[in-house]
Amino acid sequence: MIVKMDHIFKSYDKIPAVNGISLHIEKGERVVILGPSGCGKTTLLRMIAGFVSPDKGTIEIDGLVVAKNGRSLVEPENRKIGMVFQDLALWPHKSVHGNLEFGLRAKKIPKNERNKRIDEMLVKTQMIPFKNNFPGELSGGQQQRIALARALIMEPKILLMDEPLSNLDIDLNLLLRKEVLELQEELGITMLYVTHDRDEAFSLATRVVVMQHGNIQKIGNADEVTKFLSELPVNKKT
Amino acid sequence: MARKITLWVAILLLLLIGLAPVISMFAKSLFVAGELSLGNYETLFQSEREWILLSNSFLLAGSVTFITLLLGVPLGTLFSKTDLPFKKIFIILFVIPLIIPSYILATAWFYFLGRSGIVAQILGANVGIFTSRFLFGFSGVLFVMVSTLLPIVIILVMTYLRMVNPKLEEAAKLSATWPVVLREISIPIIIPGICLAGLIVFILTLGEIGVPSSLRFDVFPVESFIQFSAFYNFNAATAAAIPLGVITLIILIIERLFLRKKVFQFRVTKDPMIIIPLGEKKPLFFAAVATLAFIIAIIPLCVLLIKSLSISAYHEALTRSIDSIFRSLLYAAIGATCLTVLGFFLGYLLERKAFRFTYAVDSIAILLFALPGTVIGIGLISLWNTRATNMIYASVAIIIFGYIAQYTALGERIMAATFSQIPRSMEEAAQIVGVGWFRRLFGILIPLAKRGIASIWLVGFIFCLRDLGITMMVYPPAHDTLPVRIFTLMANSPEEVIAALCMILILITLLPLSALSLIIKNKRQKI
Ligand SMILES: Nc1ncnc2c1ncn2[C@@H]1O[C@H](COP(=O)(O)OP(=O)(O)OP(=O)(O)O)[C@@H](O)[C@H]1O
Ligand SMILES: [Mg+2]
Repeated sequence: MIVKMDHIFKSYDKIPAVNGISLHIEKGERVVILGPSGCGKTTLLRMIAGFVSPDKGTIEIDGLVVAKNGRSLVEPENRKIGMVFQDLALWPHKSVHGNLEFGLRAKKIPKNERNKRIDEMLVKTQMIPFKNNFPGELSGGQQQRIALARALIMEPKILLMDEPLSNLDIDLNLLLRKEVLELQEELGITMLYVTHDRDEAFSLATRVVVMQHGNIQKIGNADEVTKFLSELPVNKKT
Repeated sequence: MARKITLWVAILLLLLIGLAPVISMFAKSLFVAGELSLGNYETLFQSEREWILLSNSFLLAGSVTFITLLLGVPLGTLFSKTDLPFKKIFIILFVIPLIIPSYILATAWFYFLGRSGIVAQILGANVGIFTSRFLFGFSGVLFVMVSTLLPIVIILVMTYLRMVNPKLEEAAKLSATWPVVLREISIPIIIPGICLAGLIVFILTLGEIGVPSSLRFDVFPVESFIQFSAFYNFNAATAAAIPLGVITLIILIIERLFLRKKVFQFRVTKDPMIIIPLGEKKPLFFAAVATLAFIIAIIPLCVLLIKSLSISAYHEALTRSIDSIFRSLLYAAIGATCLTVLGFFLGYLLERKAFRFTYAVDSIAILLFALPGTVIGIGLISLWNTRATNMIYASVAIIIFGYIAQYTALGERIMAATFSQIPRSMEEAAQIVGVGWFRRLFGILIPLAKRGIASIWLVGFIFCLRDLGITMMVYPPAHDTLPVRIFTLMANSPEEVIAALCMILILITLLPLSALSLIIKNKRQKI
């Protein structure tokens, strides 16, 4: 079990954003959280990452309790988590190499190993020619690959992705979905992916979690969730 | 058409009141006895003294910049990004030295550390000799200038840090501790802001005369003031003012060429900024910041308060200067009003890019803001001191012109920021249905911008009120303002009277400042 969340609550100004969620994620899974805007998806990810502490409930990552009873026990940098943000958050003042190197250096990994890992990762993401470019000089798709590479190079226990492809046009979206899948399978990494797009959810997930108003409505594989959604009293767009 | 004319009038006013004096001064300095000659400059640079003064000026400006950045960057970071307790009170304390005339700060320190100051009275005359040696000269000027200009760095660092996309820091926090994130991500991203702060501090120190002359450290701008006021040698004064103008110009050009390009794309995000918990180190940081605030703000304020603590001192202070107190308030109010009107239109021009040469107008305003007050003062005298224009030269108008010349950039930039919040479409919607410029102006723009307008007025008021550099150069007889009166009384008045005068000046400056902080607070709540 990589991630174990039990009875997680989080409110902002007394309004619940996440309202009693329990979710367990196994090693190597690709779990996609699907839900409408404002249902608490980002809040959930940020609690796993450690930027927000839950008001109630327990979060365990790789056997280590990281948050319990409204307190965050482990700082984000010690949770072994990778994250790709919706707006990517590439550091504008660092080159591609610098963006990938930062985390490794913070973890005191020696220079020659750092360079080896950076080169490997850039080969995997086909970004070697852009090693010395700055993020501002890259196209949207290339920036996306660097954001992914920056998260993966730390060999995280789990990769969190918060609508990473929602700013792209549909062709690039499809292409990068494929690349994400390939990389995930090659590295065997565990992935928790957030989206409000059903198509994206079904094409990526081994398991889909449907969220609404801070609650989990349904967990299942693509077929089960499709069925669930079509049987909703009012078949609203999620 | 009406709009065009209004904007043109604003531009012409800036050129006439601000730029023309500086150009006229430069032109006149090139003539000796009616003939084109570099004579004035030759005499200036032949004397070794001028070179020493110039190098003193650079040494001082460089050291002040270095130390304010060294202190201001960590302080700004602590105030904007951490859960340090009592942040707001600390910020106010650090800002106070900026809004009161800097030589008053120097005076307060003199009363504290001088040969027969408070410290000497408590710890003995020997200590007094030692502290007064520290105060008079380079170290004392450095210390007072740092405490005056530190808030500029603190405020700019805070503003820029607030604009950094918090996701950039979160992404780094996934693998690094907060100190590393700040050192490698947040601070490097705001380097343009830090450079800007350093530049402003450097330029302001370079032009400062109040503190160096009261603490007797010879710097270049004092020279042109002395040439003018002590020897009535106008040519020499002008020649001494020009190098400062040229240096300022060079620094600004460097800024335009290099710093501008380095500006990173800031995102104005709605994501809340992460507040870093200081944890166990909180008491340590608190103690350090409190100590600094105590030294920089509380000691000088208390010194003035204690020194002046008698009714007779205030009575004496008021009888000696009640006229200049009222004049100060009146002139600052007139100045602030002019700055508001001019700033309104120039800010509109800058934000809406109404003319092609908008940026040239902005550059002129910024140059004038950066020029030392003495330089502008000499320029004004050189342009207006003729028989035909004596009406202006011998009246309050010359002081107001000085305020406009020096501080228009403030109003322009504040208004430009305000207009950037008002969608162009609001004005266009009225234009389409045929509402004329003046109707639009009074019906739409002014009501929508009223907070910005109130802010410029108050900022303008504070700056005019504390002005010493220009006023001291240009004030006609019987037109002196309170800062000038204090400066001239200083030599031969009892210390408690001077202290009382300083307290009065501080109090009347604090009034608009508190009004300003109320406006800013309301604005935050509205958003
Ligand atoms: N820092 C915050 N302060 C106050 N309220 C917040 C904060 N963050 C989130 N919320 C509220 O919590 C609820 C859930 O927000 P969250 O960002 O998790 O939704 P989301 O599912 O990610 O939505 P989207 O698809 O739009 O990104 C929303 O109602 C939001 O307004
Ligand atoms: Mg979200």
